[in-house]
Amino acid sequence: MDGTHMPVIEAVNISKRFAEVEALKDVSLTVHEGDFFGLFGPNGAGKTTLLRILTGQILPDSGSATTAGVSSHDSMSVKRAVGIVPEAETPPSFMTAQELLELTCRIRGLDDVKGRVDRWLGFFEMEDKRDVLCKDLSKGQRQKMMLASAFIHEPRLLLLDEPFINLDPIFQRKVREYLQGLLAEGRTIFMCTHILEIAERLCTRIAVISDGSIIEEGTIDQMREVEGENLEDIFMRLVGEGPSLTL
Amino acid sequence: MLREEWRLHQSLIGPMGSAFFPGFIFVFTVALAVLVPMFLSGLCYSTLLLMFHVASVMYGLFVGSIGHIGEEIWSRRLGQINVILQLPQIHPLSFKRVMAIFYLKDALYYILYSYAPFTLGLAVAAPLAGIALGSVAQLCLTMVLTFMMGMSLSFLLSASAVRSRRAAGVIGLSVLGVASLVWPLNVLTPGQLLLPLGYWYKPNPLLLVFSVAVTVTLSISAVTVIKERFEASQRRHRSSLLDVEPRFAFTGKLSSLVAKEWVELSRSGVMKQVVLGLAGTLLGVYFIIWLIETGLGFHFPFNVVSYSGFVGFMGVLTYSWITAMEHNESLNALPVSVDEVVEAKLVLYLILTAGISAGCVILISVARAELGLLALGLLVAGANAVYAGSVAARLTGLWTNTMFFDAKVISKFAAAVVPPLLVVESASLWIQVIGAPVVYTIAAVSLVQVAASILMLRGVRGKWRRVSFAFAVTEA
Repeated sequence: MDGTHMPVIEAVNISKRFAEVEALKDVSLTVHEGDFFGLFGPNGAGKTTLLRILTGQILPDSGSATTAGVSSHDSMSVKRAVGIVPEAETPPSFMTAQELLELTCRIRGLDDVKGRVDRWLGFFEMEDKRDVLCKDLSKGQRQKMMLASAFIHEPRLLLLDEPFINLDPIFQRKVREYLQGLLAEGRTIFMCTHILEIAERLCTRIAVISDGSIIEEGTIDQMREVEGENLEDIFMRLVGEGPSLTL
Repeated sequence: MLREEWRLHQSLIGPMGSAFFPGFIFVFTVALAVLVPMFLSGLCYSTLLLMFHVASVMYGLFVGSIGHIGEEIWSRRLGQINVILQLPQIHPLSFKRVMAIFYLKDALYYILYSYAPFTLGLAVAAPLAGIALGSVAQLCLTMVLTFMMGMSLSFLLSASAVRSRRAAGVIGLSVLGVASLVWPLNVLTPGQLLLPLGYWYKPNPLLLVFSVAVTVTLSISAVTVIKERFEASQRRHRSSLLDVEPRFAFTGKLSSLVAKEWVELSRSGVMKQVVLGLAGTLLGVYFIIWLIETGLGFHFPFNVVSYSGFVGFMGVLTYSWITAMEHNESLNALPVSVDEVVEAKLVLYLILTAGISAGCVILISVARAELGLLALGLLVAGANAVYAGSVAARLTGLWTNTMFFDAKVISKFAAAVVPPLLVVESASLWIQVIGAPVVYTIAAVSLVQVAASILMLRGVRGKWRRVSFAFAVTEA
């Protein structure tokens, strides 16, 4: 993918500190158009911090990032161009599922609001919950609404933080197939997840982050040290949680 | 739980902010104590004591309404914040037990946070004011006991309301019935209802023991009625944002955000707080004026314009309520900036305060037969509401409730808002004496406030555009 496709995400020497904690240390990575890029790491490694910097929600202490061709300093332009699924499902409590999607469409200036809203409520089988307040939905239902909110404007770049969390297997498959469809259309997806089985089926390139630094980046095949090593084995080996797989 | 409360406070308002409130109470009490001899020239001793104890029971009623917290936790109203109270959801802990401990924690916290600095302030000022230290100790004791009576009653009412609004209504009406025996029926004296107050007239320790017994009985009753299990509700609203949005088409590109705010306001229960808050504020204004006239013996030519300034100024409470309606973290994923949401909330604020403030001013001018000053009163109320709201928006963004505990922020707010208000208030007292020149002066000051509001609103964009939506922001 690299070399033939334009970079859509470029992070150069990103560092970020929160009080005593250095969350990111000189992180650099590039995601090209058409990549399904997976970022993995232990809890507290810096995945969400990096994603928030890439989407302009927070600024790095040093370094630079461009997302969808826009500096992450211009967070509004970044957010207009991409779809974001945040780590925690927190839709507005007092809006219904339908109203949340309507609001998203109106903020993004989309046409055919009713059609889009109906389509995505249907995709996530939430038609009978359309008039339920978001705070009264289950976790999985709220996650569906956050996904729908990110997909509804059909962005060319998606940044997803744990998109499969709280979804049942039916919808994990459905979302997975949808994302694979986007990839086939040449769109780009940047994803953080702990569900390595799904990530292994989807990701064309991955990076492993630990303790605020990227320790490895490439394709899964490039990272395999021995035949048969799966993504979980690679992850465990790289973050030092277990012995290398030996045969 | 005490540690959790302190850390929550610190995370919301910082250590300086946490110290500000008790520090303010201390200084205010010292000043008040020094003024006691002046108050006593117009007020009798018993009225002063009554005021202190009524204030204590009201304070207790206000802070004690925690019985609904269980339902709020269950219905995920606390957003990203999780507290010890939620542990019974997943651990073998009785929610009644945890709530009982929470209630005791709250009581201790408010006593230490409010009554301790109050007592210290009185004790420090006692020699200057000619108050015996023994009286200070007794006043602290009786006020705390009265506070606890109010707090336990409020706890019972709020806990009962979760089970049955009817039952809570019956309890509430019963209490009002008993209170009416004091006023207006004058069957009982205040000291016979507020037993710790009665101790000042008949120093019988049994009165204090009975007040403790009442508090304990109400508290135990409240804990007993606390629900252990909450049914998941699924309230449905068959409305569409697309139907609401056209009402706000006059706001241009903010219309969808204003529609969102309107929908949230009407469903979150904040409207009740807005109305009660403003009504309570008006009562407070009347009380302060009564206190000045009766207590200090000063008779000022107050008129509708004098009241209008306060009505407008106190509208800022409405802004703080509507910024606390909802955490907006989900908006981080959308191309919406904090300043846009602030502007949307300001539109909502103006709609609410315009109606309520205008209504109050009209009522006051009719009651006082001052219809000739109605137009000026409306201008003053409107200008102060717009100005106070825009200053609050500029200084605090979406975090008014927490940032107003920050001494720097509240000082800046006071420095910006109080001087023009004082000019208007002072000038209003001369309307009947000087006439037209004063009216023009007040109108000019009001127009300057409106112009300054426009500048403040421009500042909102610069200050809040780059900030993320978060649970709390202590500085920007």
